[in-house]
Amino acid sequence: MSDDTKRSKPSEKMIELRLPSKLGYERVAMDAAASLASRMGFETDRVSALKTAVSEAVTNAIEHGNQHDEAMKVVVLLTVRGDELIVSVTDQGHKTIDEAYVSRVPQISEAMKRDDKGGWGIWLIQELMDEVEFTTAPSGGNQVRMVIHLER
Amino acid sequence: MLEDELRVSTRVIGNIAVIDLVGDVTTFAEAKINAAYQEMSQNGAQQILLNFRQNDYINSAGIAILIGIVTEVTRNDQKLAFSGLSPHFQKIFRMVGLSQYAKIYQDEQEALTDLQDAATA
Repeated sequence: MSDDTKRSKPSEKMIELRLPSKLGYERVAMDAAASLASRMGFETDRVSALKTAVSEAVTNAIEHGNQHDEAMKVVVLLTVRGDELIVSVTDQGHKTIDEAYVSRVPQISEAMKRDDKGGWGIWLIQELMDEVEFTTAPSGGNQVRMVIHLER
Repeated sequence: MLEDELRVSTRVIGNIAVIDLVGDVTTFAEAKINAAYQEMSQNGAQQILLNFRQNDYINSAGIAILIGIVTEVTRNDQKLAFSGLSPHFQKIFRMVGLSQYAKIYQDEQEALTDLQDAATA
């Protein structure tokens, strides 16, 4: 029995994905999370919200945290606990998330004035998920923990 | 395998330039979408419809590309509209504010009817 299995409570189910830091692999995490959420009974609109949040978190980890270094892994942990699905996305922390990005509300009128019109990912994650926490993992990487609750 | 390409094609219906987007709108889509827009603009398009096909993956890099199109359309005094988005992406486009600059229609037919009526009114 693995350490994770020993630590998890009987009511918890965990799936771990280790993805190469290459754009496109966020789709694997997105599809796995969507499949799990659908089986748990989440409505289509909530599954869509989860897919966007997971893809943005993994894309950030690939692009920023791991700087596209394919040898570095993005670890996605999906945990089913009762009526909630917890998704944590951890990179290997080449570059830490800028605090300003976490509290910022982007404005399209401002984006239209800039050459780089991006920077929507972290805000979208926060808008779409029920709980979001940005922390530093014990390994030193960036960790995003997102929770979505099943409403019955 | 995981870098599904977006298929972009263009056509003109009446006075509306339609850009069809089939596939994923991510960072890999930038050159194709911008090229289609430039082609339509150079041909004198004043009304442009970006027609999605219920695309199931549009990410924030894709949204940034579309903000770039909105910026150009505003600068060039053209009119832009979106059709064929799934309910989820209609919501995302409203959240981001793209709907302030381009009307969102349920489908292509609704968009063409309304845009043609507006042009002849």
